[in-house]
Amino acid sequence: MIKDDDILLLDEPRLNAAERLYIPQIVDGMIVTLRHLGKSLFKRPITVQYPEEQRQLRVENYRGVHRLNRDEQGRVACVACFMCATACPVRCIHIEAGESAWDDREKYPVKFDIDELRCIYCGMCEEACPVDAIELTPHYDLVGRSRQEMILDKEELLSIYDGTRDLKPRKNPRITGYPGTGNRPEQAEPPKDEAKA
Amino acid sequence: MPRIIIDNRQIECREGIPVLQAALEAGLDVPHYCYHPSLSVVASCRLCLMQMKMPHPKTQEMVWSPKLVPSCQTPVRDGMEVRFKSEAVAKNQKACMEFFLLNHPLDCPVCDQAGECYLQDYSYHFGDAESRMVDQKLVNPKKDIGPGTLLYQDRCVMCTRCVRFIGEISGTHELCMVHRGSRTEIDVFPGLPLDNPLQGNVVDVCPVGSMLDKDFLFKRRVWELSGTPSICPGCATGCSIRIDHADNRVCRLKPRFNPKVNDRWMCDEGRFGFKYIHEANRIASPIVRRGLEQTTPSWEQLPEIVRFRFQEHVRRNGAEKVVAVLSPFMTCEEGWLLIRFIRTIAPEAALVMGPVPLEGEDQYFPVGATSKAVKFTILAEKCPNRRGIEMLLKAAGGTTLTFGEFVEQSGKGEFSSAWVVGGYAKPWIDKATAKIAANIELLVVQDIFESGLVAGAAIVLPARAWVEREGSFVNTAGLVQPFERAIAPPDGGRYDGQYLFEIAGYEGLFSAGRVREMMAESISAFREIYEAPVLPAHTH
Repeated sequence: MIKDDDILLLDEPRLNAAERLYIPQIVDGMIVTLRHLGKSLFKRPITVQYPEEQRQLRVENYRGVHRLNRDEQGRVACVACFMCATACPVRCIHIEAGESAWDDREKYPVKFDIDELRCIYCGMCEEACPVDAIELTPHYDLVGRSRQEMILDKEELLSIYDGTRDLKPRKNPRITGYPGTGNRPEQAEPPKDEAKA
Repeated sequence: MPRIIIDNRQIECREGIPVLQAALEAGLDVPHYCYHPSLSVVASCRLCLMQMKMPHPKTQEMVWSPKLVPSCQTPVRDGMEVRFKSEAVAKNQKACMEFFLLNHPLDCPVCDQAGECYLQDYSYHFGDAESRMVDQKLVNPKKDIGPGTLLYQDRCVMCTRCVRFIGEISGTHELCMVHRGSRTEIDVFPGLPLDNPLQGNVVDVCPVGSMLDKDFLFKRRVWELSGTPSICPGCATGCSIRIDHADNRVCRLKPRFNPKVNDRWMCDEGRFGFKYIHEANRIASPIVRRGLEQTTPSWEQLPEIVRFRFQEHVRRNGAEKVVAVLSPFMTCEEGWLLIRFIRTIAPEAALVMGPVPLEGEDQYFPVGATSKAVKFTILAEKCPNRRGIEMLLKAAGGTTLTFGEFVEQSGKGEFSSAWVVGGYAKPWIDKATAKIAANIELLVVQDIFESGLVAGAAIVLPARAWVEREGSFVNTAGLVQPFERAIAPPDGGRYDGQYLFEIAGYEGLFSAGRVREMMAESISAFREIYEAPVLPAHTH
């Protein structure tokens, strides 16, 4: 619900007579267009012949499809803290937390779904993650034949990590888990679906 | 009323309360952990220390005392002057916060309390960002102290609220403090887990994430929840509660302060008794049967159909063959609308009070307390509104029957059309009793779950759970307590109040407050409602 306090009323800036002609703006725009035209005509074209030709991307900070990182032992690094889901401006991350059976961690994601169609690739999830478990990869050509297919689950996100770990290795996280609390003295079996991974 | 000066501001406060309580009621945010208005004062956390003006031992002049005094243990006295905004107080708060966080694992991202944790809030507002501790933190694994609660000892601030609650309110004494110094911890006695009907409250009194509810554990982060004030329908006590819900699902129930009924507590039965509302086998939409034909009418058509079928029967069989069975799970407003509809269609119709579920005996807390010392009551009468419905039946007059009489008479075939309201949380009608359906030609059943009665009904109306309705319940002490709607029904359709409003012949949207005003014209008891006061912002 939108409260009255949340609403900011702003006045549009008044334009003067010269600004209302819009001529300087049009000229500005045309300069940019003509510059590009000139470059394409007389120098190397600015466009690339995708998909035969692919552009070099900056791997470190390109914001493409997400991945879920694995820790040193190959388990999902996520601790199911919901920080990414909270930070997400479009609410495209859906997590279901469960109790983990590992000694060094209390929670783990039983389900971790990202709706890649809803996502706006802003990278807030990556910023929010306290254990650097979720990252955006340089992959941008994700396709699917249905909307359902574009909702990536935990296994798919982990497999994206497996596919991109050489291209973009996982950062060294400041925190790897949350040891201490939740430590249980007895050794327990890992949950079934994790054991396979 | 004593007047005191806090931070150069004159405040008028209640007699005999601690300065801390007076400051909180005046809207000041004074950090505190161990002080709880419903429990005894121990002054052990030292976070609420203040400076007070005292007479100088030599000159007798009023000066600021060099030592700090606990505001939770100092009762207000007319003319006293204290301050929280001073360097010494701030320094103490910083030092205390650093001390509390010495062994804290800083695991807020995976802690269920995060978002409603007073360690977070106070370290943000009053603490320091850094800890000077160089030693290894003490690690203390979580303990399973009972069937409902987990204890995370290394998040604990040793305020002993839980120990005092278990000693003073539930009176079951399961919790205690063991060891000394930095190794002090909360524990249960060997073989005696924390297991009593009020144990869920230790999670509420815990100001940090030390006591956590197993039922809610890892389910949701608390900032996703929205709270709606409500009344617990679990028993006739009518505790004030808050419904925490997200995505149209109820996630947990929390007690709400109500000085006349439940203070700040609620029982586990009420706290965890809401699960039935999310069961898949609930009746979702209205069903109309005529002979072998079965249809699902739209909500717009429904009032017309119900009215027509009743009028048809009254014409054929006479008005004295109509009966309405009201359930103690209905709100007063719904009861009134139903009576109004039935008595308009058939002025001689009989009204019946539905069965009142009784389970076990009344329980009083602290355990073994006699009348005056009782601080919390769980009643054997497991329905919220018997009194309210009885008031309505009395006001309506005419023929009123008990449920037993109704079953007996309808067995003899004395009623040709009946409106039976269920809405009970548990199965309420046995197979033998449900056979009366065969004797009633036009049976309208308004219920949550399938039953023998529903199977034999001509019209089935989905009753909604109390979280999906609005209205008021009258508790055993006679307080008319209104409550709000928290979530929408599972099918997104109309709720009892709305469709009864339409069936009773009104147009537009149902509003419990407006219906209550109409009721108050004829029934004086509904002129006064009781709404629990809202606590000042910084109390906990």
